[in-house]
Amino acid sequence: MSEIALSALPDLSGVAVRQQSAAKRILKRLTPFLFVAPALILVLFWVYRPLVQTFGLSIQMWNMNPNVEPVNVGLQNFQYIFTHPDFFQAVWNTFLYILLMLPFSVILPMAIAIATNRLSSRAKNIYRAIFFLPMIMPPVACSAVWRWLMHPINGLFNHLLTSMGVVEEGVRFLSDENWVLLSIVLIAGWKMIGFSTLMFSAGLTGIDPSYYEAASVDGHKKWRQTLTITLPLLSPTIMLMLMMSVLMTAQWTFAYIDVLTQGGPAGASTNVYYLLWTYGFKNFNSGLSSAAAVVFFIGFGILALIFTRINRKVAFYDN
Amino acid sequence: MKKRKLVALLAAAAMFVTMGTGCMTTKATDSAGSGDGDGKTEITFYTYNLSIASQKEAAQKLIDDFNAQSDTVHVTGVAADVMTMQTKIQSDYAAGQTFDVVQCALNQVGYYVDNYKLPAFEDVAGQAAFDEHMEGFAENAKTLGQYRDGKTYVLPYTFSTPMLYYNADLFRDAGLDPDAPIETWDDVKECGLALKAAGHEGVQITATGDGYDWLIQAMIYSNGGDVMNEDHTEVTFTDPNTVGAISMWQDLVKSGAHTNYTDTEAQEAFLAGNQGMLVTTAALESGLISAAESGGWELKAAPFPSFEGKESVPTNSGSGLCIMSSDPEKQAAAWEFIKYVTSAEGYTTITSMMGYLPLRPDIVNDERYLKSWAEEHPFVHTNLAQLERLHRWEGFPGMNGGQIGTLLNQTVTKCIFTDCDVASEMQTAQSQAQDLMP
Repeated sequence: MSEIALSALPDLSGVAVRQQSAAKRILKRLTPFLFVAPALILVLFWVYRPLVQTFGLSIQMWNMNPNVEPVNVGLQNFQYIFTHPDFFQAVWNTFLYILLMLPFSVILPMAIAIATNRLSSRAKNIYRAIFFLPMIMPPVACSAVWRWLMHPINGLFNHLLTSMGVVEEGVRFLSDENWVLLSIVLIAGWKMIGFSTLMFSAGLTGIDPSYYEAASVDGHKKWRQTLTITLPLLSPTIMLMLMMSVLMTAQWTFAYIDVLTQGGPAGASTNVYYLLWTYGFKNFNSGLSSAAAVVFFIGFGILALIFTRINRKVAFYDN
Repeated sequence: MKKRKLVALLAAAAMFVTMGTGCMTTKATDSAGSGDGDGKTEITFYTYNLSIASQKEAAQKLIDDFNAQSDTVHVTGVAADVMTMQTKIQSDYAAGQTFDVVQCALNQVGYYVDNYKLPAFEDVAGQAAFDEHMEGFAENAKTLGQYRDGKTYVLPYTFSTPMLYYNADLFRDAGLDPDAPIETWDDVKECGLALKAAGHEGVQITATGDGYDWLIQAMIYSNGGDVMNEDHTEVTFTDPNTVGAISMWQDLVKSGAHTNYTDTEAQEAFLAGNQGMLVTTAALESGLISAAESGGWELKAAPFPSFEGKESVPTNSGSGLCIMSSDPEKQAAAWEFIKYVTSAEGYTTITSMMGYLPLRPDIVNDERYLKSWAEEHPFVHTNLAQLERLHRWEGFPGMNGGQIGTLLNQTVTKCIFTDCDVASEMQTAQSQAQDLMP
């Protein structure tokens, strides 16, 4: 544009130069935005637009039928979810899921990663591949196999438990309200160990080996090295996995709840996302679903904020 | 270097595009080939039977048989997932791209007519032709797809009534006579306890695991209860007979005669020959028969049990067909197809291969159709007899209808599998559900 302007107006070179520099300046400022524009537009369209829409839907009653006009109901949807027990049950269950998931997403993977870190690279890879394998298996197929393993009469687990005399009658892993949540955590945890181990392994690779050499020269024992070098330098990874685990457990467990228990018995295994899904896509009540989504969005947002604050204080970065 | 990369990339892209068009052309020829390409009206049929392993073959056979004998219409079946079907239909409808023939759950007739522009069969076919087709159709089934205006918008297609299936070998092992009639829930309890005492599993009424309430409604109606008042303005979960039905059920579980597994688990145990009795839809019958054959045990069936002194009232599980196309030519083609699948030939395939009821009951006595099959499968007579006492599977009205159905399911699940007080749980559900009524 500016070039054409230049050639068309050769006499007013001074003005043109000034114009050119102004245009160039603007272009220069715009360039970075142009580069991120495709990503930005996609994010705006696929993340922020639905987010805003969710807020809108949460104050309406609508069955998602395009021929039906949504009815504005104000805060009625919020009133419904806060006065009915299934919401609180889902929140409490989600809390339990998060708590019980931590050993599988943080503690065990960290132990595995540290334990296999000093092995020869081939042995290390084999071990880690074994742990990673569940991650790449499709959840629905896994669920079917776990259901057979956990079957109260025909299942392998109960066969072993009864033949060893641990229990007299088969444990109803998926239909006993005291067991079902634990069973789902076990399955989802088994699946997540691989991913977390991989993350911790990556964290370990980033630690400069010269620290260990120095510590060895000083005569520090292995466990002491782990405690004083590995753990502090791994703290960013630990914090990251902790945050991911807390924020994502409800999603990680979703597929297994859906296939194995549908949230039952009597809501004992449901979680916040499954509740959302039931409201929205089983009962076709987008208002309740969105209202619950708004509440969870705010809740998880606050959690994320707290985590980033803690992260700044606790995590130690080795520059 | 950079240039070479670009050339390679372009070449790859070009290959990809040609591959794509190549695929498309073959696809086009394919469908033209099967449609004979001679101006047949093409219609689509959205059905969940195509996605259920034990029913897929029969559903495809119905479509193929129709295509083979029709000179004017060609049908393409599209498999639907039961859980996501409704969502897809709604979004397709919004986009103006519906399937021409759609299978719909029979408790949703009101919802479909209220929300989609469906043509009535009487209008598409003409009253006379429609009446002619409906001759020989089971009286109680005829009305299931009717709307308030008395017209038929959904034609009942594949449905079944609940039955009690049991394992005769386990009965003998428990010292029970498998040929003695099992009529009431008291009989069921007695048998269940005997089975339990012999180290087997008792009964499971698989009514809650699918998230629906059709079989729950059957339990309630059988005890003289109801889920709604007559003009469908109030839910009646606290009706003494409604509460009574659920209390009886809870007692079955408490006594140990009824297992407290998930429905899938109970079904698997039954298929494996470990569970004594299973109350479930007859739609599963073909699967049960083959499991019994391969497992080497004897499968028997009894009618849906009754409450003492009352006759049992079965509901209908399953579906009907509706026409969603707004194009008159396609509507006419859809009617041709629906006429075929609900004909005597159609029901011969449906009943013998899927296990659903022949909604033209006379064909079980007809040599040309199901007579010989029915002699080998006497259960079908039991199931047909239940059709006489059929109660419609009711859908709750309004935008929150689905929510009420789920609420009823969850409350009943809680009642039967825990020690809770049924009356007070149902009271809570009643007030929650009433808030959701329009």
